[in-house]
Amino acid sequence: MEDLKRIGLLFMVMESHYRRHPLQALFLFIGLVTGVTLWVAIQFINEHARASYLEADQFLGAQATHWIKSKDDTGIILKDYIKLRRNGYRQIYPVLEVRLTSADQQPVNLIATDLLALPPIDRGEYRDTNNWQSLTQFPFQAWYPASLAKRLNISTGKQLSLSSGISLPPALIQTRKQQGERIFMDIGAAMTVLNRTSVSYLAVAGLSDEDAISLSRLLPSNLKLMTNEQVLDLSELTQSLHTHLNAMSLLSFAVGFFIVFNAVHFSLRIRTQTLTILQEIGVSVRSITLAIAVETLLLSLLGTGFGLILGYALGQALLPVVASTLQNLYGAVLDHHLILQPIVIFKAWSLTLLGLVLALAWPLWSRTRQTILKQRELIVEKSEDRKILKRFTLIAFGLAILAMLMYPSLSTVTQWFVMLALMLFSAAFILPVLLALSLSALQALLPEKSWRLRWALSDGWAQLPGIRIALMALLLTLTANVGVDTLVGSFRIALTDYLQQRMSADVYVQTKNLNLQKLLQSPGLENHHLRYLVTFRWKKRKTLIRGMNTQAPDMLVLPIAESDPEGLESWYGNTDGVILANEQAQHLSGIKLGDHVEFDTPTGLHSFKVVGFYYDYGNSTYEFYLPFDRVKQYWPKAELQPHIAVWLKEEVDPESILLDAGAQPGDWLYSNDILQVSLSIFNRTFAITAAMNVLTLAVAGIALFASLLAIHQQRLPEYAHWRSMGLKQREWLGLIVLPLGVCVLITWGLSIPLGSLMSILMIEDLNVISFGWTMPIEWRWEPAAHLLIITTGIVILTLVISLTQVRFRLPQALKQLGGDNG
Amino acid sequence: MIRLLFFLLSMSMVHLIFAGDTYDVLRSKGEGFSLVVPNKKLVFPRDHLTHPKYRIEWWYLTANLTDKTGREWGAHWTLFRQAINSKGQAEGWVSNQLWMAHAALSTPDGFIYNERFARGGIGQAGVDLNAKGSQFSAWLDDWLWLGNESAPLPGELVFNVKDYRVRLSMKVNTPWVLNGIKGYSAKSDQGQASYYYSQPHISITGEVKHGDQSLNVSGQGWMDHEWSSQPLADSQSGWDWFSLHLENGSAVMLYRLRNDNGKHFYSGTWIEQDGRSIALKGSDIRLKILENKPVDIGNNKSKSLPIIWSVQVNKSNERYQWRIEANDSEHWLNTVYPYWEGPIIAHGDISGIGYMEITGR
Repeated sequence: MEDLKRIGLLFMVMESHYRRHPLQALFLFIGLVTGVTLWVAIQFINEHARASYLEADQFLGAQATHWIKSKDDTGIILKDYIKLRRNGYRQIYPVLEVRLTSADQQPVNLIATDLLALPPIDRGEYRDTNNWQSLTQFPFQAWYPASLAKRLNISTGKQLSLSSGISLPPALIQTRKQQGERIFMDIGAAMTVLNRTSVSYLAVAGLSDEDAISLSRLLPSNLKLMTNEQVLDLSELTQSLHTHLNAMSLLSFAVGFFIVFNAVHFSLRIRTQTLTILQEIGVSVRSITLAIAVETLLLSLLGTGFGLILGYALGQALLPVVASTLQNLYGAVLDHHLILQPIVIFKAWSLTLLGLVLALAWPLWSRTRQTILKQRELIVEKSEDRKILKRFTLIAFGLAILAMLMYPSLSTVTQWFVMLALMLFSAAFILPVLLALSLSALQALLPEKSWRLRWALSDGWAQLPGIRIALMALLLTLTANVGVDTLVGSFRIALTDYLQQRMSADVYVQTKNLNLQKLLQSPGLENHHLRYLVTFRWKKRKTLIRGMNTQAPDMLVLPIAESDPEGLESWYGNTDGVILANEQAQHLSGIKLGDHVEFDTPTGLHSFKVVGFYYDYGNSTYEFYLPFDRVKQYWPKAELQPHIAVWLKEEVDPESILLDAGAQPGDWLYSNDILQVSLSIFNRTFAITAAMNVLTLAVAGIALFASLLAIHQQRLPEYAHWRSMGLKQREWLGLIVLPLGVCVLITWGLSIPLGSLMSILMIEDLNVISFGWTMPIEWRWEPAAHLLIITTGIVILTLVISLTQVRFRLPQALKQLGGDNG
Repeated sequence: MIRLLFFLLSMSMVHLIFAGDTYDVLRSKGEGFSLVVPNKKLVFPRDHLTHPKYRIEWWYLTANLTDKTGREWGAHWTLFRQAINSKGQAEGWVSNQLWMAHAALSTPDGFIYNERFARGGIGQAGVDLNAKGSQFSAWLDDWLWLGNESAPLPGELVFNVKDYRVRLSMKVNTPWVLNGIKGYSAKSDQGQASYYYSQPHISITGEVKHGDQSLNVSGQGWMDHEWSSQPLADSQSGWDWFSLHLENGSAVMLYRLRNDNGKHFYSGTWIEQDGRSIALKGSDIRLKILENKPVDIGNNKSKSLPIIWSVQVNKSNERYQWRIEANDSEHWLNTVYPYWEGPIIAHGDISGIGYMEITGR
């Protein structure tokens, strides 16, 4: 009991520091909360996404363990659906899932079902669905998640116009479970509005093996029953993306704790005095250690609590962006409401505690372990900078060596991120050394008479200990920004080139209404490409084999990443036994040029020699190209894809020729429109990286702001001294800004090669093992220049705020300097 | 027979399912829908089929059955149709018709039931004749009532309740009974009415399958077909309905529409063994509750319901009296539209068996 009282008293003495220095307390708290917030936000999203994948065997709140799809992808007619229901398969329900394009060329996904046909669910569900009549009767209703409505600029009652000229029903901002970033409509309404005659597929809820066999027997020959393996697929496919997000959030966490460390660093000098006095009056090291532990624990709880609240809000705000990415890349559907998972709370607290132990408890505790004499020396000795810089150099080299040692044996995405982190932190630790060396060098270069400049640079030495941690944080985020921007920019260029090359046809037409013979005989037709498609699982992943006309115009310009020229020629010559694979199959399944891949075909086990790999951006599945006739040879029941690529003669009006061949308006898409929509999807997919970049930069900005404010507060007596000596405000400003500007410029300058190196590693290696895509690096100045502008903006903003603060307090400081306490 | 008509009208299927309790529909006037008027001649087989311009309609079967060991079984199966508005089209994906079906089975061990829903217009549920016009069918998914010819009777009904599969073959020897005045059945003194006809003399043989077990059952059934657009009177809150197969081969149907002001509306039909029927006026019927019992209505709640009744009917110059009691009081259907429906036994001047339905607040 006495012990507890003593610790309590001791704790109060120690915490009095924060009461006397509220600004330091504030920055410590800001660092703590900002670090935790972004990390927590991403954790919430990741956990939420994983929980959603586990629900991938559900559909709009109902189970969907199997799908019934048409073999030729043309959908399922009503008669076939009703026949199954009337045979007692009440767990079957119809789904219409379409990707639409708005009038302003934005991609929009729509999902529709018959709520009454969903398997028996909790009756509460029925009651939630509060307006069956509005949903199913003209003018119908379209339900938008709020984020999607915002993106499309749709409000309640407004109708979305599509590029086809159709308008969707009046909007209602409302969602169902597992709706994701999609518009929901009643299937009857959707079929009517979109003028459809067949549903996309049938979902099946819960089917025993026995039922699956009897159901398969009942299906017409054009339909097939498939197991929904999305739970497995999504968990595997999305792993890389979540690791990427994790890495970004950890970076932000680290930057946040740099702020904490910075605040502790500023307080350490004063708190060391308190610790020394406490030890001098006989308080044991054990008691002080316990008080530090209590402080750390309380701060960790406080930081976690606020971080969780803000992180949840931020996660909720970021969720639509991540949901969009996951939907575009993997077809994963995320709900719009985050669930507070206990595991995230526990992880957040553990990580915060660990961060605080390193940034707060350890420096404080190490002071208590020193002898009182040593502590006194430290107080007297104003700078042990050289020692610190030496330590930083050692750490930097240590980390760099570790990174280099790891590099040759990297095999997983996580290992890659660890290596990148080592590299980044190595650079961050060497930054203060570089800054010190640069200031020295600049000083040495300046002539004797430029005393003002020399003074300004020497003032840099006074600023450096205070801002170096913030600059280290800034370097981390600038480097990450340059790296990620270069990666995304390179991918964008690669994807655009790729699409332009692949989408070389004039128009792509659905074949369901088409009189193919009539179209093929049309004199206006220059060329066409009709393909086979076979889907199966290979190496535990969904795999496609496409039967291509090797002489079609788009095949002649196939973007090849790597090939054996002779083999490629034989593929173009329809030779048996050779195959092309996409890059995903190359990099993710590990096949190499010249390897043989074996497929279990209906005609037996067949082996094909891989003679080339082609680029296939945006695809998450393994894919292979065989010559058209070879597919029919090995898969006699292979179905033609329901689309045909058409090249027309220049003078021909595409519309008239297609209408003449039986196509209906809406059955075709121009390649340019596909390109625009694809790029729009790309932009939405990578919006999350942009959001994360901005957020980490914001955290770094806070770090810089906190440092500057602390430095100026600490140096206030010094500034008062200068002013009393007659230094004008403009001169004083120059003294302060110049060294800071130099330091920030060096930090930015260093971030460019570092960021570029990071982008090279990400594009050449990390990206390949994550997604299986390779691309040329397209380095551009724009992101770096953009970051310089943003950084300058942050510096100016923080300077204005902190200098205003100084100006406000300077008269008081001058008074104190003059001994006027009144 | 009023049965679920007012209940459904009062709660309007769509509105109850999709928007909770909407008793207000009870007071609506059925504007835009076809109205029930006297002196309309019912024509068969046309009137065995749907009347989509009327707001609500149902086909209803109750059956008192016994197996070979003498154990008592009960079955009821209902198909409800509702037009959710008066203007939409009946056919196609955007049909304004909505279907609901209930199936319940009273086994010697207890009571089980199921409910189903389907949108209209796409063939998932309906009542129709085959392409040749020679065979009646009523269905929702795989629950199917198939007439041997263009009428529902004689015919066969197949449905399942939980893991019980029921197949009933139904035969009749008497004509359809038009309730009220030639099928115009009044429901209040203020003009509310329905078209309502019945077949009380259905001879049933059938089979109940449960797992590997198969039981033959036989007994008597009662079928109703009724349609209307008109709501309850403002003050009518629910009803009690009885059907009885009497030992002498006669049958009787009685109902009272409960009025908040205590002036309940009574009506009924007496049907002779040969199918001739006599409409019973309100003054011919006297119903008295003898005992209320708490009935489990799910969610750990119970409700006190009149399970034992004293019933008196004056037919011509004859007076009949019964003590009517539910075989088992636990027959609450906690469906989206909850109500009580189950087999009853009548002790009295001429004993009998039948079904009782209790709905409303």
